Amino acid sequence: MTLGLLLLIAFLALSASIVVGFRRPRIWLALTVAGAMLGMTAALRVLLGGESGEWQSGFLLGGETLHLRLDGVSALFLMLVAVIGGTGAVYSHEYWADQHNPSTAPRGRVCWSALLICMGLVLLVSNGLHFLIVWELFALCGYFLITLDRERNGVRAAGWLYLVASHAGTLGLFAFFALLASRTGSWNLGPMRAHAELAPLFWLALFGFGVKAGFFPLHIWLPSAHANAPSHVSAIMSGVAIKLGVYGIVRFSGWLPIPPAAGWVVTGLGATSALLGIAFAFAQNDFKRLLAYCSVENIGIIMIGVGVALLAMTHGNAPWGRLALAGALLHVWNHGAFKALLFFGAGSVLHATGTREMSRLGGLARVMPWTAGLFALGTLAVAGLPPLNGFVSEWLLYLGLFAVVTGKGVTAWIAMPAAIMLAMAGAIALASFAKAGAVIFLGAARTQPAAQAHECGYWMRGPMLVLASICVVIGLAPVLCWPAVAGAVASWHPTWAIGEPPVSLVTLGSAQIALAIMILAAAAWLWWTAYHNGLQRGPTWDCGYATPRARMQYTSASFAGIVSGWFRWVLQPERKARRPRGDFPAEAIRLEHMPETVLEHIIAPVGGLIMQASSTVLRLQHGRLQFYILYVLAGLIGIGLFVFWGCIP
Amino acid sequence: MIVMRDLMLRLVLWLLLAPLLPGIINKVKAWVAGRRGPPVLQLYYDLAKLWRKGVVMSNLASPGFIIGPAVAWVALIGAALLMPLGPAGSVVSFRGDVLLLIYLLALARFCTAWAAMETGSAFEGMGAAREVSYAVLTEAAIIAAVLSLIVHTGSVSLSTMLAPSAGAGAALLVAGLFTVLLAENCRVPFDDPNTHLELTMIHEVMVLDHSGPPLAAILHGASIKLLLFSILLVQAVLPMGDLSPLAAAGALAVGVLLVTVGVGLVESLLARFAFRRVPLLLTTAFLLCVFALLVAWKGDAP
Repeated sequence: MTLGLLLLIAFLALSASIVVGFRRPRIWLALTVAGAMLGMTAALRVLLGGESGEWQSGFLLGGETLHLRLDGVSALFLMLVAVIGGTGAVYSHEYWADQHNPSTAPRGRVCWSALLICMGLVLLVSNGLHFLIVWELFALCGYFLITLDRERNGVRAAGWLYLVASHAGTLGLFAFFALLASRTGSWNLGPMRAHAELAPLFWLALFGFGVKAGFFPLHIWLPSAHANAPSHVSAIMSGVAIKLGVYGIVRFSGWLPIPPAAGWVVTGLGATSALLGIAFAFAQNDFKRLLAYCSVENIGIIMIGVGVALLAMTHGNAPWGRLALAGALLHVWNHGAFKALLFFGAGSVLHATGTREMSRLGGLARVMPWTAGLFALGTLAVAGLPPLNGFVSEWLLYLGLFAVVTGKGVTAWIAMPAAIMLAMAGAIALASFAKAGAVIFLGAARTQPAAQAHECGYWMRGPMLVLASICVVIGLAPVLCWPAVAGAVASWHPTWAIGEPPVSLVTLGSAQIALAIMILAAAAWLWWTAYHNGLQRGPTWDCGYATPRARMQYTSASFAGIVSGWFRWVLQPERKARRPRGDFPAEAIRLEHMPETVLEHIIAPVGGLIMQASSTVLRLQHGRLQFYILYVLAGLIGIGLFVFWGCIP
Repeated sequence: MIVMRDLMLRLVLWLLLAPLLPGIINKVKAWVAGRRGPPVLQLYYDLAKLWRKGVVMSNLASPGFIIGPAVAWVALIGAALLMPLGPAGSVVSFRGDVLLLIYLLALARFCTAWAAMETGSAFEGMGAAREVSYAVLTEAAIIAAVLSLIVHTGSVSLSTMLAPSAGAGAALLVAGLFTVLLAENCRVPFDDPNTHLELTMIHEVMVLDHSGPPLAAILHGASIKLLLFSILLVQAVLPMGDLSPLAAAGALAVGVLLVTVGVGLVESLLARFAFRRVPLLLTTAFLLCVFALLVAWKGDAP
């Protein structure tokens, strides 16, 4: 079967699933999963088989001929769309089932299939005008999915913010594609590295796609949208949708010439985004917001890799760029896999307890062992710990940065701070996920709903198992992914073919396998010894503290206290406290709210000023006819004067 | 096969030698205080006894309570096996192995913190929070130190990175890495390894509820970590590659002994810092490593 046919059938299957989605959930699921599998097959054939496809037809859409293309870069992202799209569909079958959400579930299914189609088309179309159209449709599908549960105020506000931010980005893209088309004389996209005059357009693309990718400080829409959306939607938004922003930046920095400062700016933005994103994540008390901010961090990590690749391009195609880009592209997959896994896990917790506040949970590991185990695996992966996949891509990225440093060029001055910031971000990520996993799943249940939680069903567990095994496989056998990543790098820049995996990656793979075996052996041995010697259960000793209560446990805010103190200058926490007074204090309150600093302290005041100016202007519009006639008269006189003076030479 | 044999030999060496260091430190402390002190081999006796004992596990704890220490132990042993040993070099050496070592230490930290949180105790939560928070600064310091070695030697693999001496920035690097060693191994002035109560609220408090074999694994892992950091410090500074094998082995042994005695002396002469000042001291360590990096950059610039 040819590549084109595969994609066509996938498209037809997904289109059919839109039609049946309203009434027939099971047929919808089968069709969606089939479409995702077909898309995955096509992507794999490009990535592993080295095929690539380009299709042009005479069919006109908006005055432009259809032009589709599937190469290494787009196939890498298409793979991600297919995997998360398929697993998310299965997950939603139970998570957002008809019996619990009779009014919104059918709409959710239809939007899901439409979103998958639009995301696939964004990756395939190779015409500026059509790209804008599918980009807009993709953003709208995202909006309808985020606001599925629109009865709640928070959801509507989050959706609105997403829509506005998304359109601000699209505005940048409008300018980008329009200027591109006017300079080149055609809407067709493709490699045009020879046109040096196009380089400044990169900044427009960086803004337009950056809003979607959500790196700091363009991330304002991301935390609330990802936190308020249903969890399977959060998973695809966080795992895939924001990656399409990365796709745009990678795609057009590969096709167009780039300004000399691009590498410096992107690396700097990436490092800042990594450190501040995770600092915000650590301070959150809502576990879905924590995961959302962690996406800001991971996009930052990816951007560091892309930035180093751009630096390499402007500094004589240095070989370290390939390593960093390979790390960044592998991290695109890795982050997709573990972030979707974590959001699915978060969804199960939310489904079982009905709260997103970590400090109301606790002790769920006993009632939800599957979710707890898989979530724990996800936290290890997202913290970049060996032997899982997050470590492999961060390792490649570090190697790229270290190679920049050993090159001793001027570029080392950005690589060294980036490496240090990446290390700090890694350590805070570890702290954040130690906190999230521990406060949600360990210890004693802090509230009644947490004590009465229940394990999720097979439809939710299955997708999590699939994603967890992806995390393990990429971690233990990184060499398997190498051809895909190398192919993507080669199609990003034709002279950058990297061929065989580096020897150190092969050794790393065996070291990871050895480590995994040793971990299993040691765990079994220690467990057996403990059992053999006699294992008793008792209350927590806790230095002999007599009557500990569940509420005395360390909460998420207390866990994050030290580090959020260091980052107070940017976190700007709002505290409200009433200390206990007198001998028999009646009440004491301590409330802490972590605002989204950029939104509440920068965007909102500026928006307020604009609103004020607008309402001042609005006063002219009062409905009195006499004044309107006066305006017309003044206008006419003004024009007359203008013409009069214009005539005098 | 030779690799396997070498690996096994090293494993036995690390497992057997590591518990010696805390004993030496305690002897030094006792000597300064004019006491006789526990025998140097005390930790061996403790470990042997703990390994035979039963386990009391909190009602709240899940299997992670025992798996956590096991993973942490393996991670520390794995990190130790990556470390080159003076003239013997390293068994497994590849580009970027230094990162695997750093991240294995992070894995150990994560698992210890996880196991501590299993009990639902506020004390242990406090310890875990402090452990992972202060690690942010130590990790930055370690990466800065590694970068300075990378700049100095132009290599990203431990065995070649640690072979020459650290050059002009050696003094800065010693000060920075020694501070990191004290912080990472719960020694005074960051933490007090002698008490297990709320006064020592970083590493030691995380293991309050552990008993029997898991506690043995934790204690043994901690001693491996101490030996690992001492060896790293000594090799980063001394020109191991330029010495004859015998001299290098001797230098390594003497160096590690000196570091251990140094830790003991610091512990005897200094009081534990107030918690407010711990980040300041760690930031100082980080800055020392950054200066070492700058010196290495300046000194080796073409």
